[in-house]
Amino acid sequence: MATDLAALRGTRAPTAREIPHTVSPGLWTLAWRRLRSDTVGMVSLVIVAAFILMMILSGAGLIASDWNREVGVNYAPPTFLGEEATATAPASITLPGAGNAAGATQYKSNIVDPIGDVIEALKAGKTPGEAASTGTLPPPETAEEKSVDPLAEVMADIRKSEASKAAAKPVERKATLPFGGDKWGRDVLKKTIKGSETSIFVGLAAATLATFLGTVFGAIAGYFGKWVDDAFNWFYSVFSSIPYLLLILAVAAVLQQKGIFTVILILGLTGWTGVFRLMRAEYLKHKSREYVQAADAIGASNARRMFLHIFPNVSHVVLVQLSILVVGFIKAEVILSFLGFGVPVDVVSWGSMLNEAQNELILGKWWQLVAATTAMAILVTAFSLFTDALRDALDPKLKGRAGA
Amino acid sequence: MSAYIIRRLWQMLPTMLGVVLLVFFIFNWVGGDPAYVLAGKISNQEQIDNIRRQLGVDQPYWVQLGIFLKQIVTADFGASWSTNERVSHILLTRLGPSLTVLVPLTILATLISIGLALAVAYVRGSFTDRMVMIVCTVGLSISILVYIIVFQYVFAYKLGWFPVQGWGDSFIQNLFVYASLPILIGLVVSIAPNLRLYRTFFLDEINQDYVRTARAKGVSENRIMWIHVLRNASIPIITFLMAELPGLLLGSFLIERFFSIPGIGREVILAVERSDFPVIKAITVYVAFATIATNLLADLTYKAVDPRVQLK
Amino acid sequence: MNSPKFAGDPLVAVRNLRVSFRLDRQTTFDAVKGISFDIPRNSTVALVGESGSGKSVTSLAMLGLLPPENSIIDPASEILFGGRNILGLSMGELRKLRGAEISMIFQEPMTSLNPVFTVGWQLEEVLRLHVGLSGKAARKRSVEVLREVGIPEPERRIDAYPSQLSGGQQQRVMIAMAIACEPQLLIADEPTTALDVTIQKQILDLIADLQKRRQMSVLFITHDLAVVGEIADYVVVMRNGEIREQGPAKDVFEHPKDTYTKALLRCRPQLERRPARLPVIDDYMHGSGPKHTEERRRGVAPGDAIVLDVKNLGKSFYSREGLFGKREFKAVKDVSFRLPKGKTLGLVGESGSGKTTVGLTLMRLHEATTGEAYFEGKDLLSMSPKEFMAYKRRIQIIFQNPYASLNPRFTVGQILVEPMQIHGIGDSAQARTDMAFELLDKVGLPEVSFYKYPHEFSGGQRQRIAIARCLTMRPDILICDESVSALDVSVQAQVLNLLQDLQDEYGLSYIFISHDLAVVKYISDEVMVMNEGEIVEIANSDEIYRDPKKPYTKRLLASIPKGWQGARAAD
Repeated sequence: MATDLAALRGTRAPTAREIPHTVSPGLWTLAWRRLRSDTVGMVSLVIVAAFILMMILSGAGLIASDWNREVGVNYAPPTFLGEEATATAPASITLPGAGNAAGATQYKSNIVDPIGDVIEALKAGKTPGEAASTGTLPPPETAEEKSVDPLAEVMADIRKSEASKAAAKPVERKATLPFGGDKWGRDVLKKTIKGSETSIFVGLAAATLATFLGTVFGAIAGYFGKWVDDAFNWFYSVFSSIPYLLLILAVAAVLQQKGIFTVILILGLTGWTGVFRLMRAEYLKHKSREYVQAADAIGASNARRMFLHIFPNVSHVVLVQLSILVVGFIKAEVILSFLGFGVPVDVVSWGSMLNEAQNELILGKWWQLVAATTAMAILVTAFSLFTDALRDALDPKLKGRAGA
Repeated sequence: MSAYIIRRLWQMLPTMLGVVLLVFFIFNWVGGDPAYVLAGKISNQEQIDNIRRQLGVDQPYWVQLGIFLKQIVTADFGASWSTNERVSHILLTRLGPSLTVLVPLTILATLISIGLALAVAYVRGSFTDRMVMIVCTVGLSISILVYIIVFQYVFAYKLGWFPVQGWGDSFIQNLFVYASLPILIGLVVSIAPNLRLYRTFFLDEINQDYVRTARAKGVSENRIMWIHVLRNASIPIITFLMAELPGLLLGSFLIERFFSIPGIGREVILAVERSDFPVIKAITVYVAFATIATNLLADLTYKAVDPRVQLK
Repeated sequence: MNSPKFAGDPLVAVRNLRVSFRLDRQTTFDAVKGISFDIPRNSTVALVGESGSGKSVTSLAMLGLLPPENSIIDPASEILFGGRNILGLSMGELRKLRGAEISMIFQEPMTSLNPVFTVGWQLEEVLRLHVGLSGKAARKRSVEVLREVGIPEPERRIDAYPSQLSGGQQQRVMIAMAIACEPQLLIADEPTTALDVTIQKQILDLIADLQKRRQMSVLFITHDLAVVGEIADYVVVMRNGEIREQGPAKDVFEHPKDTYTKALLRCRPQLERRPARLPVIDDYMHGSGPKHTEERRRGVAPGDAIVLDVKNLGKSFYSREGLFGKREFKAVKDVSFRLPKGKTLGLVGESGSGKTTVGLTLMRLHEATTGEAYFEGKDLLSMSPKEFMAYKRRIQIIFQNPYASLNPRFTVGQILVEPMQIHGIGDSAQARTDMAFELLDKVGLPEVSFYKYPHEFSGGQRQRIAIARCLTMRPDILICDESVSALDVSVQAQVLNLLQDLQDEYGLSYIFISHDLAVVKYISDEVMVMNEGEIVEIANSDEIYRDPKKPYTKRLLASIPKGWQGARAAD
């Protein structure tokens, strides 16, 4: 099969026949040409590529690897103008509250306001008593963190180990940072970069997994039909009967061990149904098309018809679905991580940033929220516009039907 | 017709059984012994032993499955592991608040989306159309979390137009006081995707031959859009809505969580946070059954609105 | 090409109509290049042309139905109707005209009717809009109109949805809607092309009848000259957006002046004659005239060698019904025939007659339910798939739609080489490539085609590629499933000539499936008529057309459009 395929693909004119010719552009080349002339699509593509490059660089440890370091004062406000008054602070115990007295008092006052309680109440795992206990200004890194942050205990551990390292030498801490600083004075810019690594990687990997499963299942079900189709359809209807989010949450509930790969597995294993439905329909449609019947008539095997003949003709659907799923999964990962069911606490993602930002907003510290939201909005908008452009380029008949 | 319904009901059984098996697989197989899950959550060893006995953890899997099936049929999932509240009571009491938010939200979102989508489809290809689509795309790319956080902060906390959170006993008060901001947020996040989808439904119909016939008959563009196109596009819209209904029950779980609305969605989140398996299992199974039932309902509705469909 | 001379004050005068389409930002395409013609009162004008001639664009322009977003009508163009220029009317004025003064029916009645409203609702809508009738009066009038267009039981059918009617009845409803407000002009855009031949005949008769009774004018748009021969008073022939010839039907049919018109009239196979080669456009446009016009003899003799012997072939499809029930639909019932070597068996029938299923079953693209098909003494239908593989290449098929039967992702080279690889034909890649080049030459395509993709070819060229693909496997039998039906008349003649040449050269046997009786008559030695899955009649082709035995065959043959000569001969 494989060599056969290669031989067919490699069919070129032998040198014996010297006729002037150029091999005509195939449909992929034509699609690429159409895409290239689409300004919006190309700009989106460049943005998406930039984000992916950022993800790779960050994953390789070349940028933002020190996101977890305290480089600014607590809640350092954002500035691009570089008013970089630096303060030297002993990094160990005084970190969260005392570094910025104003921040600490404001924070305290907010703890007792209604929305503080709301948030307290929403953190289901915590007992209400903890919120009340903040009235008596407890040692900062225990009660305060615990009261607002579900990840408090773990964070405290992380910080302790870090603090012990940092305690050896005083840290240079800036009063302002380009994107501002978070509660512990970490650079929000670096967190955003590191967070994009997690979110994009999860989105891409889970979408690839789901698309792969959906495509293979859909191709088999649609092509072979009969009882094979019935079996896959049963499987599909079972999975699609349980609302997607509920299924994710149920799996998240039983999987005690958290990690990036767990999230990818959850999203991938539950998200294949949409691709399946489409691919099944495509294969059903194409298998009765005349070119496939013609392939049957010339004696092409099932595998050959499925992969060599039909697949290239439906691959644009796969590509567009993949692209749509990436966007969906990036959003889903953000929600999962926000709720604490996603990536582990020592990994930063846009979701966990939003979680922290939710509480910071009440203090008027809007920058982490804005940073994570903007980064995500730019990426997702670019990805969606790119998807639309991709669909238009691959299937010009549909142009203008959907999207901008 | 009745033969069709009976056959469809009969065909629902394997799917329902599949759902039961999948949920059983997730919780009893992947989830494993509840003792490990409960360790640290319930300190009372006697209580843990009791739960293990109820689930038949030391019995073979088929016995456990039997217990699970019995729970489903009798709607008796025992008590919540966290609060000791009866699971059936949890389900019944949480349904009302969810519906108080969801019913008005769905109706409003559908009507507004259809109106806007028709208007946009009418001026298809124009500058307005492109701008609306771009706004939708950008709007869609912002996480629902951000809408909730910002709206709650600005409209409730800063401006004080709405209560920050809460829920009462009076239906009227709940609907008009506590549910209004959640409904507003729900509208903001659901109109963008609906508008995009409905617009494609309308555009698909506008390109059909019968629209050309209507024009050739001298029918005005307005009438073509509001009568001919809308009536045809209502078929995919209704089908889409029916398919979405069960998911909607949970769709607003984030809103319920932020606004402390004691609904099904918030209950799921709480249960997952507390590893409260009986509650999750019950909700999962029953919502799935509801989905299967709505699918049948969707097919029947489809038949009712589309004269081309012959159900056999 | 200036203002044509028709008698009297015309109902519609088209003057210098020029329409182009914006393809993308830079390029436009001129669909209609400044044409002028008249539609006289109380007469039928046929606008004839092949695909891309601009005939439909012209008709849509008359109702202002061209898509405003990408069509450009030259400001100097005029379509005068009752002294007013339609192209200059406001939207409101245009709407008053549409459906009331000028109405239109289309090719696909199924999709042209709104599927979710009843027939009555759609009829009453047009009455309410233009005549102001409503309620009972509108319903009463609707029933009358439906009766007038020949819908049986109009009181009952008025509440039916379009999907509950047959294709012919749907087109009647379209006509009812069009004539309800007694328009002065009815535009019929290929109204019978999607219909079976017997239904086509009924609709043509209906339109001709209505035209006389209502004293209206009809603009009949078609690609088929034979169809309009019977009903047209005037004929306008278009090609590539220009008018080639126009005039009274008698002049155009009997003394065509334009070479293209001449070619168009002669390319189509005629029932009376069977030249060895069909004339093609090029014979007239560039050459000295048709070649090889001597009569070709066709027919089977008892002594002919039999290559395929089909016995009691049956094929059923099953659909689910009721609680546990399955409903059997017999697409092919007990069909037996013999195919002589080197001869053509024509298979005719209307849609649903099972003729295509016979072809697909013989190739085992569908598995037969019953029956045998003996080829070289072996039953092809009962072989294991493995055993069948060796015979597979011996029977090949050419499908109807040349746009769907070639894989768009393969180059022509890959398309031609693939079957040789699968069946191990040719010793080396070199040998296969050489063979591919040879076959391209044989089917009349340039060698560069080898490197091109199907989308770069026209319909006729693609059908040649499909034929070359079959030839790579050196088949004995070629099944042509409506293989020329989707092609323009002039291209159709070329492909038919090619098929005849190949039969002469390789001694191929054809099973030629078509709904087009004239084409089947021309190419076949023997004709088999099918109806509802059963064989109605088999006989030598000349014989069956001269002397049909069965009533169904008679009815079918009577429906063939006679063209100009045929229609006059009948008078």
